[in-house]
Amino acid sequence: MLAVEGLTKLYANATDAIAGGIRDAEFRLEPGTFFTLLGPSGCGKTTTLRCIAGLEKPDSGIVRLGDRILFDGAAGMSVPMNRRDIGMVFQSYAIWPHMTVFENVAFPLQVSKDVRYGAADIAARVQKALETVNLGGYGNRPATRLSGGEQQRVALARAIVREPQLLLLDEPLSNLDAHLREEMRVELKRLQRQTGITTVYVTHDQAEALSMSDRIAVIEKGRIVQMDTPEGIYYRPKTRFVAGFVGVTNMARGTAEAAASAGAAVAVRIETGEQIFCQAVGSIGASASVAVSIRPESVRLEKDDGAAPDTPAGETVLRGRVDQASFQGQSRRYDVQIAGWRLMVLADPQVRLSPGDEVRVRLSLRDTIALADGNE
Amino acid sequence: MSSARGHVDAHSTRWIAAILGIIIALLVLPPVWYLFQGSLFEITPTGAVGEFTFEHYRRLLEGERLATSAVNSFVFAIGSAVVALLFGGVLAWIVERTNAPFKVLAYLTTIISLGTPYVLYVTAWLFLLGKVGPVNDLYRWLTGANDVLINVHSMTGMVLVEGMLWSPLVFLLLSATLRTSNPEFEEAARMSGASVWDTIRRITIRLALPAVMALVLLVFIRAFEGFEVPALVGLPGRVNVLTTDIFLALKDTVPPDAGRASAFSVVLLCVVAVLLAFYNRISKSAERFHTVTGKGFRARPFDLGAGRWIAGVIIIANFLFVLVLPNLVLLWASVLPFFQAVRWKAVGLFTLENYKAVINSPFYLELVWNTLILAAASATIVMVLTLVVGWLAVRRKPGGWLLDQMATMPLIFPGIVLGTAVMQIYLAVPIPIYGTIWIILIAYVIRYLPYGMRYGYSGMLQIHRELEEAAGMSGAGNLVILRRIVLPLLAPAVASGWLFIFLLASRVLSLPILLAGPDSQTIAVAMYDMWTNGQGTELAAMGLLWTLIMTVIASGFYFLSRRSGAGVYGN
Ligand SMILES: Nc1ncnc2c1ncn2[C@@H]1O[C@H](COP(=O)(O)OP(=O)(O)O)[C@@H](O)[C@H]1O
Ligand SMILES: [Mg+2]
Repeated sequence: MLAVEGLTKLYANATDAIAGGIRDAEFRLEPGTFFTLLGPSGCGKTTTLRCIAGLEKPDSGIVRLGDRILFDGAAGMSVPMNRRDIGMVFQSYAIWPHMTVFENVAFPLQVSKDVRYGAADIAARVQKALETVNLGGYGNRPATRLSGGEQQRVALARAIVREPQLLLLDEPLSNLDAHLREEMRVELKRLQRQTGITTVYVTHDQAEALSMSDRIAVIEKGRIVQMDTPEGIYYRPKTRFVAGFVGVTNMARGTAEAAASAGAAVAVRIETGEQIFCQAVGSIGASASVAVSIRPESVRLEKDDGAAPDTPAGETVLRGRVDQASFQGQSRRYDVQIAGWRLMVLADPQVRLSPGDEVRVRLSLRDTIALADGNE
Repeated sequence: MSSARGHVDAHSTRWIAAILGIIIALLVLPPVWYLFQGSLFEITPTGAVGEFTFEHYRRLLEGERLATSAVNSFVFAIGSAVVALLFGGVLAWIVERTNAPFKVLAYLTTIISLGTPYVLYVTAWLFLLGKVGPVNDLYRWLTGANDVLINVHSMTGMVLVEGMLWSPLVFLLLSATLRTSNPEFEEAARMSGASVWDTIRRITIRLALPAVMALVLLVFIRAFEGFEVPALVGLPGRVNVLTTDIFLALKDTVPPDAGRASAFSVVLLCVVAVLLAFYNRISKSAERFHTVTGKGFRARPFDLGAGRWIAGVIIIANFLFVLVLPNLVLLWASVLPFFQAVRWKAVGLFTLENYKAVINSPFYLELVWNTLILAAASATIVMVLTLVVGWLAVRRKPGGWLLDQMATMPLIFPGIVLGTAVMQIYLAVPIPIYGTIWIILIAYVIRYLPYGMRYGYSGMLQIHRELEEAAGMSGAGNLVILRRIVLPLLAPAVASGWLFIFLLASRVLSLPILLAGPDSQTIAVAMYDMWTNGQGTELAAMGLLWTLIMTVIASGFYFLSRRSGAGVYGN
């Protein structure tokens, strides 16, 4: 469906000589995929999106949509943006203030060159698009009399009214308040599934990315560092950056006790002295320095009754003391002191421990990851 | 771009850019060329180009004429800038940042003065400060002396009149700066315990300094190239500046000494170009300090306490000096057969003859038509051209930068210099438009292109790029985007730019005074002639009527420009 190969667009920055942009982006999407570009602000997400849209001319690379080549740097060809048949929702929504809601949504049909739409046909399609975004009956409203959420829906209706092959969304929820954002997240996902339009979604919010996407590409400083399903990104981060950026994690530095190939178990001695069994991401050399990442919700705590614990193969059991406890609604947060190491744990609210309690900390092999430190 | 479709669309923009480029180049480049040619070659009275020569420049340097005029020009410009800044700047701060009363009077003053032709303004001040005018009259009455307090036909008089002429503009621009700058800077200082005075001194003035410097330079440039005040106030007192020297070389010399005028013009052009380069640098750094948040905030005004009444008195004084007194003295003059000192016995002479003469004269009616048509036509042409150039430039389309530069270039032409240049072109080129309304129209379009650019460009900057990109993504080509998105969104900026140019063009004197023929006179030229012919009282009557019409138009401009928020170059 959408195929991007070796896409590069760099901005030479005259003042501080730090080149922003995107380097060597490469991905291929199946029809109907909800694909998310995730990364911190300034990492190059918008640049990538604008290159696909044709709003920016890439330095090199190929962009293909279906059987059409939209851009080919080597062949020097580029389809202008108004001929790409791509729907886009801008970060500012870009609702034209001098038109009504109807006129805004009808615009793509009115200016269409390939297919001529009759007035009745336009009215019907606009109506349908507005109903899809739950704005039926808003047609005559002036565009200036819309709330943020309504503007966002109009922008969506305008993007899908032509039934384009591809939908691009640039941080569409970032201008909404928290409550509305939650609601629109569900709404957007429903809409995408209903229309089946292949979608590229840009966000810096990992929760949004995890909850909506079929696939996620994490971008760091202009490079895609990992591309995977939400679960893969969350549980099997490939680098310290991904582990730290997606979700909250406990990070510790240590040394591998033996060499290990990718996916194999490896014992790691962390800086505070404990030995932890981890799953290696990528191959790790003997006594290589590694980073250990442990998701706070994958840790299990139990009261330490002094008896010798059962230790299933590969599982790490450590002794510690609860330092702080707080109730957070869906979970309880405990800060556990293990020798010199402080571990954050999110536990089921049913588990009730108090500060000062001695505890056993169980880390399963599957959720404890060793990352070669070079992968930072 | 080898895609066939890619070609079509990029081509449409290139065509637009190319056509505009030719039009603007034809307007803007010949004046420069002919000016330099005129100053470096012998030109016969028939317009044929003779030998290369430095003779014109050599004659300029002969004697002390050039040096005296140049020094006078500088003194005049510096003095006017200081006077204008003192009056306009203090007023702007009081009105925008304090709780002083009577603020509406300051706006009223500004609006009406925007609609008043300079010639009329200047004559009003000449009446006021003249030998038998009320100021000297009062002085004699108070002291019993026989002489005058000030001789208006002197450098002091010129500076005073020019300074008062510019103070409304300083007020307008500076109040816009104060209005859009972030009040939180001042509030933070107040919260840190600073007094009102400390805040003004250490925060307000510091932050506004670049903008103020830019403004001083702007008034300096405008006064330096100004023509009305030097001609009406300075010439009778034999105080010459560069612009009046050019005028004299063309109008008071038989046959007109075009070579001398061209050489003078080139000197003036160079000085103004250097000054404008300075101005651009300063105003760029002024913009950096200028923090527009885009939110419709309104600064909470300083509470001046009892001082607010002093501030109120300043506002009233400005209202009196800039608006009421000049117009009262015009009113007084307009009902008298000839100008007299303000005395009770003169009341017996009151007559409406002047008004009757003006209203019943077909000649004046034609003047009004000429002026209005010229102003409307030049404003329309300029705004159409600059709207498209502004779009090409802001969106970095091919050729946009070059077009922007070309359209802004005429800024270096003082009115009188442009008049000289255009006159030479159409004397040399065999198109029979010299002395017709067309040559004035062309000169106006050249002159006001930069002003239109200012509106077109800053209006474009305010349109979020994504509004156009959304149209592009919807499948619209460049022309459709221009017509359906850009034009409607720019409408307020275009309208206020149009009105601004209309107002400028309807009162300018320096261009038509050189280019107008007997059948293509404008109001401003007629007023100048009336004054120099001693028909001052008839001039007052006509001026007041004209001001009335223009004030209505100026109010429209004022309200539109407050909404669209575009800056102006002044003038
Ligand atoms: N037109 C431009 N000129 C120069 N630098 C730019 C331009 N557009 C973006 N950049 C830089 O490129 C980097 C990536 O920008 P962008 O793709 O907008 O980031 P984000 O991931 O937040 O959307 C940033 O550092 C930005 O400063
Ligand atoms: Mg972005």
